[in-house]
Amino acid sequence: MIVESPAIVARDMGVRRGGRWLLRPAAFGIAEGVTGLAGPPGVGKTSLLATFATLRRPNTGTLEILGFDTGDSHNLREIRARLGYLPDNFRWAATLNVRDFVGYVAYYKRAPKAAVDAMLARMELEDVASMELGVLPADVRLRAGLAATCVHEPDLVLLDEPCRELDEPARAELMPLIRSLAPTVVLTAPAAQQLTGWCDRVLTLVRGRLTGSTEAIWGAGRRGDVTAPGPALPRVPVGSGARG
Amino acid sequence: MVELGRMLRIDARRTAVFISIPVLVLVGIAAAWPTLLPGVAYWDNAVAALGASVRLLGPAAAALGAWVAVREHRLDYLRELTTRSPAVGPLLDLLLLTAVTLLAYGIVGTIVLVQTALGEDAGRLHPLGLLAGAAALTLHVVIGFLLGRLVEGGPPAGAGGWRGPLPVALAALLAGGGTWLWAALRSGDAWWSLLPPAAIDRVGLYAGVRPGLFADQMLWSLGLATAMVVSYAWSLDRRAALAVPILAGIAVTMVATARIHSYGGAAAEPAPTGSVCRHWPLKVCVHPALRAALPDLEAALTPLAARLNGTPAAFTRVEQRPADQPAGVRHGVAGIHLPDLSPGYQVRAVRELRATLTGAASCAAPHHARGAAYTALVNAWLLDEDPPYIHDATAARRFARWSEGARHLWLRQHYAHYRACLLGPSDFAWQARPPL
Repeated sequence: MIVESPAIVARDMGVRRGGRWLLRPAAFGIAEGVTGLAGPPGVGKTSLLATFATLRRPNTGTLEILGFDTGDSHNLREIRARLGYLPDNFRWAATLNVRDFVGYVAYYKRAPKAAVDAMLARMELEDVASMELGVLPADVRLRAGLAATCVHEPDLVLLDEPCRELDEPARAELMPLIRSLAPTVVLTAPAAQQLTGWCDRVLTLVRGRLTGSTEAIWGAGRRGDVTAPGPALPRVPVGSGARG
Repeated sequence: MVELGRMLRIDARRTAVFISIPVLVLVGIAAAWPTLLPGVAYWDNAVAALGASVRLLGPAAAALGAWVAVREHRLDYLRELTTRSPAVGPLLDLLLLTAVTLLAYGIVGTIVLVQTALGEDAGRLHPLGLLAGAAALTLHVVIGFLLGRLVEGGPPAGAGGWRGPLPVALAALLAGGGTWLWAALRSGDAWWSLLPPAAIDRVGLYAGVRPGLFADQMLWSLGLATAMVVSYAWSLDRRAALAVPILAGIAVTMVATARIHSYGGAAAEPAPTGSVCRHWPLKVCVHPALRAALPDLEAALTPLAARLNGTPAAFTRVEQRPADQPAGVRHGVAGIHLPDLSPGYQVRAVRELRATLTGAASCAAPHHARGAAYTALVNAWLLDEDPPYIHDATAARRFARWSEGARHLWLRQHYAHYRACLLGPSDFAWQARPPL
């Protein structure tokens, strides 16, 4: 099926690092819902996620986020106001308490103080709001990270290996919460199995090529919804659309 | 402002950058102390000492700035995705670093100024001198921070960017080493030695820093710092309006450079100052900053004055002279130099005066070597020191046997030979005659 109003649209987009293609030029779109991006360590998931977050520029092709072309620098502030990004670690905040951490991020997102309180309540962090992140268990720390990431209520949330330090029960508890963070959520994991069952669709990045699957409990049967968007481009499933 | 204060407070706790303050203070004190005049509380020089502290404190602050710039690279994912200007985060870092550095400088300044205030202070305190030092430090922080941003470069950490200890070390080395070299390689009388941080040596008594120099130095630092910071902000923000402060900063720096050039490398100029005196038994007059030394000087110089009484070098008045005027006795007035009150200053003053009694050139001549030995014997007596060994043991024995009055009488009669290093054995074959 063709993606309706995809949050992320890539046309001939390629990402390189150190002379190596992390993503060979490909055309694809990522629709609303939860999309998993799997791949072994070092394959380039973080760089690809950072490209979606506008922290890196694609080496080739174009990228549209939430309907805005990232190649036009005038659009960047608009895009960035509507996305949330959580890196794989935020140890820089280990000495901050939860409230200060969320408030610190909220300042950069121009989110009001009331939004901080609301987000702490939503993530059930009020009891630990005065505790330092460094002393919290991994799942509570992740909740704090999610609260900071979403304090401005973004339309697109990008999470880099959020469940890395979580065991299976904690992951099962947090995944529904992650699904509810924003209309579109993209998260990464080292293996597709960790994402299958929780995501509407799972993409796998291997040797510079994205391949898609839709083994997801909420989106079963929607195979092929990760496609080349728009009439100007041929409908090419991710993976088969990758070039040289 | 409340929000900004909260962010700075969080950043301060998060980066723990205030831990560096004691180190910066120690560095500043270590750099300032050698410039202070020992035992002398002279405001002009106290301000110069604070300027000297910037020459070491600045590179340390630059290294700190570079270190923080590289380390805070890990927050770029957050700061670049802001709905505010992407320059906000780095500017907050700069603000915090500047606050930390200026706090350390303030502590160093307080210590130096209190130390000066507790002494017999003289001279003029130049508030602009303190501000010029603060501006130079701010410039160092900016240079270090921007170098750090330049070195780390690349994609943000947490976004596939590479990071490690090497960029931190490289940035700190570049910033600290580069600014230290800039300070260390400039000395002497070249005009550019007055560019911040200026290579101003001690400002001696009877001298003062030229008016306007500190203001020009402050403008130079602030202009350059403004141009650099705003240029960096422009590189992130691309707002055309930022061109105005950039150009203004460059213009101010250029004007200040021209003005500093006009000083010709001379930071200080003569500052005529009155003196304070002690009137008995000798009249001893010194710079007001040295008034505490009057009793000791009086006690040290009186024996020499007594022994020279009746000779052409007799004096009843002692005056401290600026460094550019010669020491020596003339018309009953003895001129001495006394740059500071470091231990032994009384002895140095007496020795300096004694040294002016004999002709240095004639005594150094080889054919006066024998006479110089006898002169040394007399010098030891004048200075109340142990007599040196001389080959003519007979003369030495005789001179040692004479009473104080006999030696005094002998010197009055043989002063010309003593002064010219022409003394010989016959001069010591002398018998004191009782006064008629």
